[in-house]
Amino acid sequence: MRISNFILVIDSYLVRKGLVSILNRIQGVRILKEFGADQSFMAYLENHPVDFIIIGQSGFDRSFDLFLSNPGLLEKTILLQDFTIDGPPGKPPASDVQASIHLMEDREALNGKIEKLLGQHNEKNPDNRSMKLSPREITILRLVCGGLTNRQIAEKLFLSAHTVITHRKNISSKLGIKSVSGLTIYAIVNNIITIEEVNLNPDR
Amino acid sequence: MYRVVLENLQLLPLLPRFNLKPGFGDKSVDEVCKSHGVNTDFFLEIANAYLDELYVPGEGLSLFSLDTMVNYIISTHKYYTEVALPSVASKINRLMDQSALSEKEVNLVTLFFSDYKKDFLAHISQEEKHILPYVIELERQSKMEEPDPAFIQKLKTYSIREFEQEHDRLETSLKHLSELIIKYLPPFDDIQLCHQVLNDLSTLMKDLVDHAEVEDKVLIPRVAELEKKLLNRESPA
Repeated sequence: MRISNFILVIDSYLVRKGLVSILNRIQGVRILKEFGADQSFMAYLENHPVDFIIIGQSGFDRSFDLFLSNPGLLEKTILLQDFTIDGPPGKPPASDVQASIHLMEDREALNGKIEKLLGQHNEKNPDNRSMKLSPREITILRLVCGGLTNRQIAEKLFLSAHTVITHRKNISSKLGIKSVSGLTIYAIVNNIITIEEVNLNPDR
Repeated sequence: MYRVVLENLQLLPLLPRFNLKPGFGDKSVDEVCKSHGVNTDFFLEIANAYLDELYVPGEGLSLFSLDTMVNYIISTHKYYTEVALPSVASKINRLMDQSALSEKEVNLVTLFFSDYKKDFLAHISQEEKHILPYVIELERQSKMEEPDPAFIQKLKTYSIREFEQEHDRLETSLKHLSELIIKYLPPFDDIQLCHQVLNDLSTLMKDLVDHAEVEDKVLIPRVAELEKKLLNRESPA
C-alpha cells in the first residue's frame, strides 16, 4: 500500500488531535507533523516530501498570500472549513484548493473524502511497491511456490530463463518479500495457492 | 519510575533497550535513568512516542543529537535480535512440536521463520554497517570548521533519501504468518501457546512499525536537512 504524507495546520488542539486520531485509522495515511497557530509549516514544506496539507480556515486565511503565489501548494491543500466564513479580502476562493472538509462532517463522509483523495493521488503517482501483481507474475509465483526451478518455469511458459528471473525480481520488489518461503506464505494467504499445492523444494 | 511502568506495561519491551530492568524500588524516573547513564529527556520522549497513539514527532526528538538517536536504534536492533526474535522463534518451534500439523505445514512455518530471521539480520547489518556510520560521520563533519573535501564530494552524489526508498517493511511478513495461523492452519491443541505466539507476533509488528516511524519521520528528515545545510555551506550554488 502506498503511503501518502500529511501535515496538519490547525490552531485548535482538540480539533487537531481529533483529526489525527481519525486519520490514523485510514490506511495509507502518514502524518509527518502537526502545526498549531504558527506559520513554520512553510519552512517545513521545503525540506519534506509532503503530499497533503490539511489546514484550518483561520490558518489558511492568515497565510492566504503565500497560497495565492503558490499553485503547487493549493493542489496539496485540504481546507478544513469551520464557521468563520469571511476571511481577509482577496483570499483565494476555497474552490481553488484540492478539496475541503467541514468541521461538522460526519465520519463516513470524512473517511470517504480522504480515501478518494488517496486513490486519486495514487493513480497520479504510481508506486512500484504498491502495484498489484500482473496475471503473468501470479502464474510465475504459483509455479515458484509449487517447487519449480527458474529453468523449469521458463520451459513450461516458453520464456527465457532471463525473463523468468526478471519477473521474479519484480515480484519480490513489488511485495517487499525476498525469500521463497515468505513468497509462499504470501501466496497462501492471498489464495493464489493452497497449502497442499506447496512444494518446498530445498534444492532451489 | 515503578508507577510509570506499572501503569503502562506496554513499556516493558522498551526497557531492555536502555539497559533498564524492573526492580526500581522508589527511585524516580530521573534517578533510574541517571544511574544507568540514560538521558532522561530522551527516555521520556521515546516512552511517550511509544505509548501515545496520537503522537506525531514534533520538536521533542529533534533536540537530541543524531548520535543519541543512532545509539538508540542500535540497541533496539539488539533487542530484536537477542530478545524478541529468539523468544518468538522458540515459541513457534514448540508450537510446531506439539501440533497435529502435516510435515509440509511444519516445514513451511519453520523454514519461513528461519528465512525471515536471515532477511531481518541482513537488513539490520546493512543499516549498521552503511547507514548509521554515515549518519554519525555526517554529524561529525558538520560540526567541523573545515569538513573533509572527500566527504563533501561524496555528499554530492549520495543522499539518505535513497535509503528511504529501499527501506523494506519488515512487519508485512509477520502479518502473513499470523494470518496463516489464524485462517489456514488447523486448530492447535495448546491454546495458550498459540495465543502467546500470536500476541508476540503482534507486539513485534507494532514495535517494528513504531521503529520505522522513528527512522522515517525523525532520523531521515533530520539527516536530509543536515546534508543540505552542509552542502550549501561548503559549495554554495
